[in-house]
This record gives sequence, C-alpha cells and structure tokens, in this order.
Amino acid sequence: MKNFKINHREVQSYDVLELCGELDAHTASQLEDSLKRLIDQEKHQIIVNCKQLDYIASAGLGVFMAYIEDVRSLGGDIKLTNMNPKVYNVFDLLGFPSLYDILEDETDAIKKFETDEAES
Amino acid sequence: MSSSSNKHDEGHSRFELKTLLETSRMLIESQDMDFVLNNLLLITMGKLMVSKGMILLYQPGADNYIISKSKGRNCPEEGQTISFDWDQEVQEQSVIQCGVDDFEMPELIEDDKHCTFFNLQTSNDHIGFLCLGSKGNKQPLNQHEVEFVESLSIISSVAIANSKMFTELRRINRMLDRKVYELNTLFDLSKDFNILVDREEIIRIFKFAMLGQMLIRKFFFVLEHEDERKVMATSGISGQLSEEEMEQLFSLDEDLTEVDDALEKEIPFLAENEIKALIGLQFQSERVALVGVGARANEEEYSSSDYNFLQSLGNLAVLSIQKTYLLEGRIEKERMEEELNIAKGIQKGLLPDPIPHSDKLDIAASNISSYQVGGDYFDILEAPENRLLFAIGDVAGKGMPAALLMANLQAMLHVLLPVDISLGEATGQINDIIYQNTPSDKFITFFWGIFNPDNYQFQFVNAGHNPPILLRSHEDEVEELTEGGLILGVMSTMTPYEEQTITLREDDLLVFYTDGVTEAKNKSESAEYGEEQLFECIKKNRGSSSEEIQEAIIKDIKSFSKDIQHDDVTIIVIKVN
Repeated sequence: MKNFKINHREVQSYDVLELCGELDAHTASQLEDSLKRLIDQEKHQIIVNCKQLDYIASAGLGVFMAYIEDVRSLGGDIKLTNMNPKVYNVFDLLGFPSLYDILEDETDAIKKFETDEAES
Repeated sequence: MSSSSNKHDEGHSRFELKTLLETSRMLIESQDMDFVLNNLLLITMGKLMVSKGMILLYQPGADNYIISKSKGRNCPEEGQTISFDWDQEVQEQSVIQCGVDDFEMPELIEDDKHCTFFNLQTSNDHIGFLCLGSKGNKQPLNQHEVEFVESLSIISSVAIANSKMFTELRRINRMLDRKVYELNTLFDLSKDFNILVDREEIIRIFKFAMLGQMLIRKFFFVLEHEDERKVMATSGISGQLSEEEMEQLFSLDEDLTEVDDALEKEIPFLAENEIKALIGLQFQSERVALVGVGARANEEEYSSSDYNFLQSLGNLAVLSIQKTYLLEGRIEKERMEEELNIAKGIQKGLLPDPIPHSDKLDIAASNISSYQVGGDYFDILEAPENRLLFAIGDVAGKGMPAALLMANLQAMLHVLLPVDISLGEATGQINDIIYQNTPSDKFITFFWGIFNPDNYQFQFVNAGHNPPILLRSHEDEVEELTEGGLILGVMSTMTPYEEQTITLREDDLLVFYTDGVTEAKNKSESAEYGEEQLFECIKKNRGSSSEEIQEAIIKDIKSFSKDIQHDDVTIIVIKVN
C-alpha cells in the first residue's frame, strides 16, 4: 500500500479524520471505509483535516461526492480544513468550494458547525 | 489682462494634465473593470461638476446596453438593460452632445436634454458610453472640457480592454488547468487500471473518479458480459432497472443521449433518479456498457468536452474490465491444458509398457495421438497358460469423453482377463456394460484375440473394428479378420459374438490398426490413404522385422499426409517367428 494514512480522533462531539499522504485511486477506498464507518455509527459531524495531505486524485474527490449527500440528509456535514495550496487548487479547479465548506482550521470548522446549527 | 488669462489657462491645463497622468496610471494598473468604471465616472463628475452620470456597457450578443454605474438623482438604476434604436453611426462618434450635435438621442436622464455621450472604445471594439448629465450651471461643456473627458475615456477604454483581456485570460487559463487535470486523471487511471486485475476495484475507482472529476452525485453503470446485463455500480440511485429497460438503453442510437421527457416517460427509473445523460461505452466497436449520470452538483451544464471526458474515462474502464475477463479466460484455459496434460500422462500409462515378450512372436506396437488425449486403445497382455492377448479399439469422438471411455474399456479388459470365459462371452458382457453406461452416440470399434504358443492358434472376435490384416507367408493376397459382431455400445447383446480361430505359421504377418491409418488425408484433404496403399506397404516390407514394418507404415502415412495428423494412429505388427 502506498504512503497514505487516516487518523481518527474526536474533538468535542465532532469526528476528525486526519488525512496523511497521497489520496489516489488505490487509497480512496480507505477514506471510503472511514466515512462509511462513521456514518454507520451515526456520527455525522465530520471534519476532514487535510494538513498532511500531499496529493488528491479525482477518485479521492469522488469519495467525498459519494457520501456528502448521505451525511447531509442525516443532518450532518463534512467540512474540510487545513488544505495546502496545491491540494486546494485541485478542489477549486473542479468547483468543490461551492459545495463544501473549506475552512482554515478545525476551530473555524467547529464554529461553522455551530452557526449552521443555530440557523437551522 | 490677456497674460493673466493665459497664465490661468496654463495652470488649468497643467492641472488637467496632472489629473490625466495620475488617473491613467491608476486605471492602467488596475485589472478590475469595476474599479476603472467607477473612477472614470467619479473623476469626470467631480471635474466637470456634473451631478448625474452613468456608464453604459454594450452587450454585443443581445445588442443592448446594461447600466453598469449610475450616480445622481433620476438616473436609471444600475443593472437595468436598455436598447436603443439608433444608427450604427452613433457607435462610431467619439462624443455626442445632445442638443448640440445633430443626433437624435434618447432622453436617458429624466428632464435632462443636454447629456453628453463619450464613446468608450478601443481600435476594435465599442465598449459602451460614459453618459454625463448637464452641468450645474446648465451650460454645455466647452471644448476644453470635452477634450479632457475624451482623453480620460480613451485611457479608461484601454484599461477596460486590458482588464477584459485579463479576465478572459484567467478564464482560459483555468479551463486549460482543468483540461490538463482531466488528462492527468485519464493518464493516471490508465496506469492504475493496467496493474489491476481486481474487477471490483477497477469499477470502484472508475465510479469515484467520475463523481469527483465532474461533481456527480447520481450515477449508475451497467455492464454486459456473456449476454447478461448487470448494474455493476451506483451512487445515489434508488430502484432498479428491468431487463427490458436495459435493453432499451442499450439500443439507443447515439453513444451520448441527453435524457428528455419522452425517454423519462418510457423509463421512469431515469426520472426518479434525475438522470440527465446516458453514455454508451464500447469495446472492440461494440456497445458493452452504459453509464447514466445525474446533474453536476455545482449546477453547471455538461459541455461537450465534459461528455468527451466521461466517455474516455468510461471506455478506459471498460477496456480494463474486459481485460480482466480475458485474463480469467486465459488462466482457466491454462488450467484445463494443465489438466489435459496430466490426463495424457495417465492415458499413456494405460497402454502396455514394456510390450510383453514372446519367443514365438516378433511384436511391435505404437500409438500416436493427435489430440492431447485420444480415443485409440491397444493392449497386449499375458493371459493364463502363457497365452498372449492382443486388443485394439477406437472410441468414437475425441478428447476427454473418448479418453474416459477408453480408460473404462481398459479396466474391463484387465478385470476380465483372468476370468475363465470365452472371448465371445466376454465381448458380449463388455458390450452390455458400455451400452448401459454411455449415451448412444458413444461407441467403440473393438478387436481382440488370444494367441496360444503351444499350438500357434489365434482365436479372435471383431466387434466392428477395421479388420486386422493377415498376410500369409507365401501368399500374395491379404486376408481380413472380420468375424465377430456389432460395434460395442450401440445395442445390448442379442446374439452372441462369434469367435474364429486361425492357425498361424512361420513368417505369417498380422497387422492391427485403427482408422487413423487408412483415413489419413493428403494435403488438400481430397483423398485418403486407404486400405490398398496399406496392403501394398505391408507387402513391400514383408521381409523386414515387425519394428521395421511398423516404421515403414508410419513413414508412408506421414509422407502421404505431409505430416498433418487428423486422428489418432495405432498400429500393432506381429510376425510369427
């Protein structure tokens, strides 16, 4: 397996997935498994921290596309944080910023979750 | 007096020049069109002390003007569009002063009949107008003022053209970036797919790449394999496609079909899942798969280049999936060949080796199979009381079924050998067993005989086999051993198989063979080797040893058939010492 790893930790009531390394066609299934597991455990407030994510291929982006609807229909969201410019560029190029909250860091993401909740 | 007025004019123009210079620097450096327009309007209004002004931008597509900026009371609102019914000539004027110049201009600002239009233009394009209302003192603009604003308008036009170009460049750059990324995706995936043999994984990666690259949420993928169509992957899809619906989708005329009302009515699944487009995928010029996609999540329409990308990606995935099927087929074939080789070894083991020795007879035997496993059988066995049993048979058909039946016959023979029954009776029993245990299209031609070394008697039964050849030592004509009964396995034994006994003499020659010998074909397959040629060959070589005679026959067949063997060839040659 290539150099890719997901760390899972909990911050308050939020689940943080830290992506490390290269998220490509071969490693996309790892992210899929992690997201599935959280959804199965009814954990829908997910922060994906991309601080150590070096590369993302379209198959990796596809995993986000495939699960965002599920998470949102359950009243949660997937928020992305700490992207390096190279990775952000890919997200931006394909038009992700209009669909996903991409935030500076986890604190901002939590704030966004809180305002989302206050609004709804 | 005049000198002070000159001085005043000079100071004035110096101030205007300075304004022009500063403005131009500010405008040219800006790549923001909004900023440029806003400044142009504010500067001119301030300089000329005009309280109403607008910027009108020309929209060539719609041939109308949009009010981009609007300041002052009673001016039309920003964002409004207006059309003018004026001559082309108007767009070519640098300045039009309403009420002064000879142009019929519309009253854009309520109650103001002395507006001035400054053309914003570059050498190629008409960008729009700067429209200024009348001055506070209701005086028309003087020559000086007109020239000043004209200059500013020209500078601004260049700046606007620049910023437009910059925006366009940025758009094109982004488009190029996306194209490059799409190509990279295709390139990466073709590498990834190449090393993958796991079909499930190829399909999963294909799905995610599609979703990610095009921001797709609704997706399904149908694959046809061995005349069966199956939905292999979905995302965000509910419900199922019936076989008839799949048939409809696969028989769509075009590879790309955008779903319309008529199709939605025919196949409600498409409407329920908000499928927008269907893309047929090909392998070796045949449609073997189909992808359905919903709208893009960012609400952008699919462009033809997007469709091209989806199709390329799909065809790539289908190619890789087909490759896995072919690979599996090849592995299966190799496994079967391996098994056939093992079977061949087992079958070889069923033939006598070494051939039993006899003082009274010079024996040579050989079997050359054309297939990996064959249906020819021969045996030479030592029977009780020093007798020697010879058998030869040919199972109908080729390959594994024939080989199995041949093995069965061999087993029966070996079991019956020590049992004290006559050849005729034994043949009847073998026939019954084969008849009961095999389908009617499977049968065996069979000949067997026992040689008694004490009295040189040879007792035989021929069950429909090519008659063995007997060439007596001093005869010129061959005899054929035909006595016996029906082929084995066609019907149960009604009448007993008849035995015949001959007495062999010194130098008599017996040749047993299967039809692979006489039915060997020449190169054009127009003629068979035939019995006559076999008889001639035997006669010609009658003086040689059995081994040599056998080799001569094989050589003769090979030269006749140019080494192309269609059937198993078995020959036993026996020469009486």
